[in-house]
Amino acid sequence: MSAAQPALGGPGRGGGSSTLSRIGARLVILALIDGLALWLITSLLQIDGLVFAAAIALVTLFANVVILRDEGYPLRWMLVGLALMLLFSVYPILYTVSVAGTNYGFGHLLTKDQAITQLENPRRHSYMPEGGASFEWTAFRSESGEFVLWLQQEDGTSFLARPGETLASLGPGEQGIGELDGDGIPVSIEGYERLNRLMVVRYLGEIDKIRFGGEEDAVLIRSLDSATQLAALYQYNPDQDAIINQENGKVYTPTDGFFRSQDGEELAPGFRIGIGFENFRQFFDSPQLRGPLVRIIIWNFAFAFLTVLLTFGLGLAVALLFNDPQLPGRKIIFTLLLVPYTIPSLISIMVWRGLLNPELGIINKSLEALIGWAPPWFTDQWWAKVAILLVNLWLGYPYYMLVCSGALQAIPSDIYGAAEVDGANIWQRFWRITLPLLLIAVGPLLVATFTFNFNNFNVIFLFIRGGPPIAGASTQAGHTDILISYVYNLAFAGGRDFQYGLASAITIVIFIAVAVITLFQFRYTKMWEEAGENV
Amino acid sequence: MNRKFVTLLTLVLIGVFVLAACGGDDVQEAAEQVQEAVEQVATQAPDIVAEVEEAATEVAEVMEPTPVPTVEAVEEPELTLTIWADDTRAPLLSQLVEEFGATYGVNLVVEFVDVNNQLPISAPAGEGPDLYVTPHDRAGGFVASGLAAPVELGDKADLFTEVSKNAFTFGGVLYGMPYAIENMALFRNADLVPDAPQTWDELLAAGQALQESGDVTYAFVLEDNGYKLYPLMTSFGGYVFGRSENGDWNPADIGIDSEGMIASGNWIVDNVAAGLLSPSANDADTAQALFVDGETPFLMTGPWAISQFQEAGMNYAISPFPDGGQPFAGVQGFMINPFSENVLLAQAFLTEFIATDEIMTFLQEEGNRASVYLPVVEETDDPDLAALGEAGVEAVVQPAIPEMGAVWGAWNGAVQLVITGGDTPENAYGTAAQQIRDTLAGVRPEITEVNVPGSYQALAGCESDWNPDCQQTEMTEGDDGIWTLSVELPAGDYEGKVALNGSWDFNYGVDGEAGGANYTFTLDADGTVSFAFDPETNLLEITIE
Repeated sequence: MSAAQPALGGPGRGGGSSTLSRIGARLVILALIDGLALWLITSLLQIDGLVFAAAIALVTLFANVVILRDEGYPLRWMLVGLALMLLFSVYPILYTVSVAGTNYGFGHLLTKDQAITQLENPRRHSYMPEGGASFEWTAFRSESGEFVLWLQQEDGTSFLARPGETLASLGPGEQGIGELDGDGIPVSIEGYERLNRLMVVRYLGEIDKIRFGGEEDAVLIRSLDSATQLAALYQYNPDQDAIINQENGKVYTPTDGFFRSQDGEELAPGFRIGIGFENFRQFFDSPQLRGPLVRIIIWNFAFAFLTVLLTFGLGLAVALLFNDPQLPGRKIIFTLLLVPYTIPSLISIMVWRGLLNPELGIINKSLEALIGWAPPWFTDQWWAKVAILLVNLWLGYPYYMLVCSGALQAIPSDIYGAAEVDGANIWQRFWRITLPLLLIAVGPLLVATFTFNFNNFNVIFLFIRGGPPIAGASTQAGHTDILISYVYNLAFAGGRDFQYGLASAITIVIFIAVAVITLFQFRYTKMWEEAGENV
Repeated sequence: MNRKFVTLLTLVLIGVFVLAACGGDDVQEAAEQVQEAVEQVATQAPDIVAEVEEAATEVAEVMEPTPVPTVEAVEEPELTLTIWADDTRAPLLSQLVEEFGATYGVNLVVEFVDVNNQLPISAPAGEGPDLYVTPHDRAGGFVASGLAAPVELGDKADLFTEVSKNAFTFGGVLYGMPYAIENMALFRNADLVPDAPQTWDELLAAGQALQESGDVTYAFVLEDNGYKLYPLMTSFGGYVFGRSENGDWNPADIGIDSEGMIASGNWIVDNVAAGLLSPSANDADTAQALFVDGETPFLMTGPWAISQFQEAGMNYAISPFPDGGQPFAGVQGFMINPFSENVLLAQAFLTEFIATDEIMTFLQEEGNRASVYLPVVEETDDPDLAALGEAGVEAVVQPAIPEMGAVWGAWNGAVQLVITGGDTPENAYGTAAQQIRDTLAGVRPEITEVNVPGSYQALAGCESDWNPDCQQTEMTEGDDGIWTLSVELPAGDYEGKVALNGSWDFNYGVDGEAGGANYTFTLDADGTVSFAFDPETNLLEITIE
């Protein structure tokens, strides 16, 4: 142990005892992490979360290596971040990719096994085999929790059904059956207590799991009143990998996520299967892509770019104004101007929607009263776009006001002094000094804002739902739809119910598009390099 | 270095196992075993309870630390039914928890969940509820996806209205227990308009008089979606889907661009131009506010709005739609999750507890929706519900076919364009219908092969019947874009279908419906059968010579 100490202590510069305590602390932390991981993995395995469990195991393994190996020392400080990124960012992306390769969606929600179980369920699909009958039933229960059923056919014949035994036609006196009451049901059966309707409800779960009757005459309980000898219409044959109709022998083989017969009849529900790139093909082949997509993309770029320009412009203007210490009431006005930033955007958007309402909105009502005209915010495509930009400006400018006022403080005032000596006027000072120096700090944020707004579903969808609709479009779309809201309609609202697979595929396409745009921006604007050079 | 690493790793692993042994899974497992044992026993006689309590303590003693909750569990047997419902129904059902628990000794848990979005994900993962409440038009999708178990109403079946049972019947099997029905009606401000208008012209005339006297701003206001305007559209003969011969909805017959629909659009355009109708496509809140504020004397809406009119102290009156306009009817019902452990119990909950006069009356009175339970329907004396029922006599039960999902967006867009003058009714509804047809057709690849698989193929020289990729029955494309095929066959009855590109992926049956029923044809004597397929309409024409 003592020989191990110096190496184990790693970069620690402390004495022997503190090194030991460090190792101790390391071990405790590691044990805690591993214990937690072990608990998570076992509970995930219990609910069939195999993939996620594997992901956690990998991350834990990584954590162990990093903590134990001295070479991993620098990585330790990033461990939490890396682990969280893997679990909450990389894992969902991989999951999305895997879903994109399947037909997962309405009609194909279940696994193949689940679909088979449902198809085999006699409550869902059944037929009456020859000699089958329907009964009313009464349950009797022994003290040790065993059940027998008293079955009554409509014609008056009755049977005693025990678990796993053939139905027996018995009368009073046989096998401990007591006197029959007015309804033809034994008052008692020896060793068993008769359950009334209220009591039987409690035991339904148990009774449901018991198979009454023998191989040939099994009884299926359908409700509190009735039990029948209906048999399952469909049965799965694992050798053929096919579902067979027990009544007429029709064979259904698994094709395209359905059990399908030779003449094209499909059994619902279908199941999940991998379909390769079919979702992507469907997306790229779809009339939707040939429809209004170009104009949507143009507006998408315009919307993101104008939002950045306007929010930054207004934020900077206000920040410059407040940079002047002589402005009266500076602090209080500045605080008030921050208010839009503190209200959840969801509420702000709804408030604006109300304010601009053509029938009831205060803005439109006032304008109509004053000048007899108000902009048709929700029905004219250009006014709708203006309204969207206004709302987004309201939501976004306080951020740049804050950032810029901070960044302005950081610009050394002696540069301005030198410029003044050189005879630069106020505009030259702004364009040549303030703006370039400011952009070093704010530039990366502008790119981030662009990327965020490129996918700003909230403001588009909550404010106007992409409307007004484009007249004559080959697919349903609105003038203010951006890619993400358009795709939402395509995958969730406009089709036949939910199509998770298709939606994932489209998401991946958008992800790639946004990633390329962002990379391009970083390269083109050389934001990072410039920032690096000047620090 | 390596040796040290191994030593360290061993140490850590020992630590982990010690931890796991102390507070980890073993104890949890033991606790679960005890819990299970207790659950079984709890339902049995008390003398056995003592025995098991002993056993439980024994088990608990072996596994330290001692799990505490065993004794409590004996007193409170855990049988639980979970129901998911939306924000309107969940508070209502919550009020039943106590009574059900007291009567049957079963815990009822009511959860407010977005059923539409959560159920498809949770149920297959085994985390769904036992029961859920849903409108019938969502039920079709749930049934097709395997998220619903059949419901057997037994003796109670006769106590429900036919319409409501049909709404939850798919493929001849009942998949839900309906409990309420809702439809729209014409609401009017009775202070302004004492008598119900019989025609839309009467309605406008009454509104116009009020408009001219300055009492209201608009004679009538319209909302921005097809659902709300449907009664107006039906009075002009508009429809969404036609019916096939057996009475089912026929998704191949889309009526969004039917003459009646366009006529109703023209009526809107004319009256907006005349200043009688509001030129805005209002959302529901705006339209309701205009009605409550007395800016308009009429509103087409449903029972969900009544409480707000009452709160505002309005003197409202309810009447059927003018000119025989038909609203959509939506049926609310309970459905059972087939992945539930308690399917039979859930069913008993419905038939024994919910389907009783007391609970059904409660649901109608507190929920403000007309009951579909006949004993309650017959007793109803609520004037609002009676008036709504009168307006809903001819109501069209909203189609529950999955194709309806493709309709709403396009239809609502067209309605907005018509009201705001963004497009002519003819173009707007024409575009919408085309969008819907495109969506329903699926994204069809380019046609490379058209085949007519059927029960005659073996006779035509194919290897087997029903072969979508048989060379002998491939069709050939003509200059007019129509695909044709002629086959000589002996006398007999045959069936067939159209399949594209050598597989069943895209196949069309009767009425050109994708995946629809087989075509049938009969040859009285040996002869030639000619098939002609039009890829525009997906219709197959069969001529026998």
